[in-house]
Amino acid sequence: MMKKTLLAQALVTALAIAPAAHADEAALMKRLDQLAAELEKVKAELAATRQKADAVEQRQQAATPTAPAAPAPAAPATAAAPTAPAAPAGPATASVAPTVPSAQPVPVPAPAPAPAVPTAVVTSPASPAGSTYPGIQAPEAPRTVFSAYGEINYNRPTRNASGAQLDVRRTVLGFEHRFDERTKVVTELEWEHAVTSASDQGEAAVEQVYVEREFDTGLRAKAGLFLVPAGLLNQNHEPTAYYGVERNFVETAIIPTTWREAGVGVGKTLDNGLALEGGLTTGFDLNKWDASSSEGRESPLGSIHQEGQLARARNFAVYGAANWRGMPGLLLGGSVFTGTVGHATPNFAANDARVTLWDLHARYNPGRWDLSALYARGTISNTEALNLTFVGNPAPVPSSFYGWYGQAAYRLWKQGDYSLFPFARYERFNTAKTFAAVPAGLGVATAPDERVVTVGANLRVGSGVVLKADYQKFAEDKSRDRVNLGVGFSF
Amino acid sequence: MGGPSLATQGFRAVPSLRYLNSTPAFFFADDGTSTGGFNHDGRARTLAEQAQRPFLAPHEMANASKADVLDKVRRAAYAEELRAAFGAAILDDADAAFDRIAFALQQFQKEDPAFHPFSSKYDRFLAGKAQLSDAELRGLGLFNNPGKGNCAACHPSAKSADGASPLFTDFSYDNLGVPRNAAIAATADPAYFDMGLCGPDRTDLTARQDLCGAFKVPTLRNVATRKTFFHNGAFTTLRDVLRFYVRRDTNPEEWYPLAADGTADRFNDLPAALRGNVNTTEAPYNRKPGMAPALSDAEIEDLLQFLGTLNDDNQS
Repeated sequence: MMKKTLLAQALVTALAIAPAAHADEAALMKRLDQLAAELEKVKAELAATRQKADAVEQRQQAATPTAPAAPAPAAPATAAAPTAPAAPAGPATASVAPTVPSAQPVPVPAPAPAPAVPTAVVTSPASPAGSTYPGIQAPEAPRTVFSAYGEINYNRPTRNASGAQLDVRRTVLGFEHRFDERTKVVTELEWEHAVTSASDQGEAAVEQVYVEREFDTGLRAKAGLFLVPAGLLNQNHEPTAYYGVERNFVETAIIPTTWREAGVGVGKTLDNGLALEGGLTTGFDLNKWDASSSEGRESPLGSIHQEGQLARARNFAVYGAANWRGMPGLLLGGSVFTGTVGHATPNFAANDARVTLWDLHARYNPGRWDLSALYARGTISNTEALNLTFVGNPAPVPSSFYGWYGQAAYRLWKQGDYSLFPFARYERFNTAKTFAAVPAGLGVATAPDERVVTVGANLRVGSGVVLKADYQKFAEDKSRDRVNLGVGFSF
Repeated sequence: MGGPSLATQGFRAVPSLRYLNSTPAFFFADDGTSTGGFNHDGRARTLAEQAQRPFLAPHEMANASKADVLDKVRRAAYAEELRAAFGAAILDDADAAFDRIAFALQQFQKEDPAFHPFSSKYDRFLAGKAQLSDAELRGLGLFNNPGKGNCAACHPSAKSADGASPLFTDFSYDNLGVPRNAAIAATADPAYFDMGLCGPDRTDLTARQDLCGAFKVPTLRNVATRKTFFHNGAFTTLRDVLRFYVRRDTNPEEWYPLAADGTADRFNDLPAALRGNVNTTEAPYNRKPGMAPALSDAEIEDLLQFLGTLNDDNQS
């Protein structure tokens, strides 16, 4: 409509400024004919343009793929969609290179600005798929989702001021890419202690990289390097997921969080809330035990883990885990992991040694409380001959190690998006509870169980940031008493 | 003793040629520790380099020159084999031939399992195939214990993480303040000092006065078969060596000559200014006169029993 009026106006103006005082009437008629012809031409062009736009619209509508089963991204993405003009929402995949060109719509002449890359929180509960506004199509969920977490910790031993340390403990970047509703790849990359090089103490590591496929029966299968489902912390180890600046000792010294193995695993969640997992993976390598260093005393399994790094695989391990969430707010579960650790090494005195680690855990959230408890025990068998070769050294191989803890946290206050969770935790553990017998006088004495009390608070800011402070008191090695402060984030 | 009639005295005890195949060339590790090299002072970077000197040294084989060596080789039964391996013209050029002879000796030492048999009782024990006696086990415990013998600090006894059998040396250097050996004729001159890394045989580290007096940590495999110990042969029995280690600082008068005022002239094989280089911080050298030595006599006997298990089978 507007264009016709404009055209009419233009015509009138053209006529107005045309040399009006033309004596020759014929010339005037000729001029009028000319203008009519031009008018026809413009009309035709306008019709053609309209037709092209209609055709493009039709093509776009036909090519929009159906929304995938993945949970729709959080609110910001849904809000961004209506701001696009008449053309439907542009490619909803994240700005990271999408991999399916055939589903790409033809770009419109005036392309809509791509909506901001949604950063869906992988760990937070998924928003339901579908649109809140009837009549508007929900945007496609992003196929590639980034996640990250980081923690910066400060430790100050109360009896040793020179031992104070501030460390960028870890920065982790993960991505999950969905090939389709049933298949995905999950990767987690980690940088510890800020700087990694031959002369620095940092570590750059691949924590997870695996592919997972879901079958019709609800069974999931995965293959690659993935976290072992043991304890409460191993699979949920972001700084926003636990209380206290440092991860608890039972789940670092006994269960070697973050503990990952390479292999295959299957899992299924039953309707009654029971989630079962099992798998066949690489295990530990007892050849790596260094009896002259304190590493084995700090964490027996941590000192012999392989982490998928040129892992010896003559011996495999199997694991199983069961976690029941049938009642709201309650989690009960347990796991077991076992495998031989000699790998048929020639001239090795403990080729038939077997490592077994099992744990039981519970977490209960009544009202504002967050209560949890865990018990874990590990054994290494057939270490007698190997320990004989280590006599005199400070750290022979233990035959058992264990730990347990109880923790209570309470949401004291909440104001806006701040919430404060004071907590207290008591842990008891021993990284070398027993040793296999050696001739008298040659063994190492077992140390008493270490008992640690941690008291502090987590202050949550928004949904992904946490500030932490706590005090830890050690019953046996009092030189380790310390105050800790930390900041962490996770999305 | 060497020289043309085996009557010329040398300056150092002869080290063993066994278990040298994995010794690296001399270098300074990241923390500055001198590591690797062949000979007591590490001056030869490879076995081939080490093999060359004895041919020409006047107190060893005392050949007049490389050409002299070549003359003898040409007349030997294996001359044809040398030509087959290195080319027909090999024995015509003295330098090239000498090089290849040393190379052949190096490869022989590296490849022939007779130089590294790992056939001792201790190796079988590490593999779980043999038991050590109680005394031998006690000796091993004392060897490893950082508060007793602390021998494993320089002579590691455990298999490495990659499964390699222990060589009982970390290829580093240590300054033990071994007493001067009057049996070496050169020591009659009070200005003569054999200082290992900083000279006189080795010439590239003379500026590093902090390294004076340091000699290479040898392997302890087959050590119980030796008749001379340390770079200057100061001791002739292993028992004396062990007693020296633990009683050097608690009873110095047993080891060093007494000065005019009755005190022991400690570390008398080093110039006075450099005696501070001697290791007095690591166990068992960190004791003082009057303290009990780190190992009692009975413990030394146990340790000797253990060291006996390091003899390769064809030796014991």
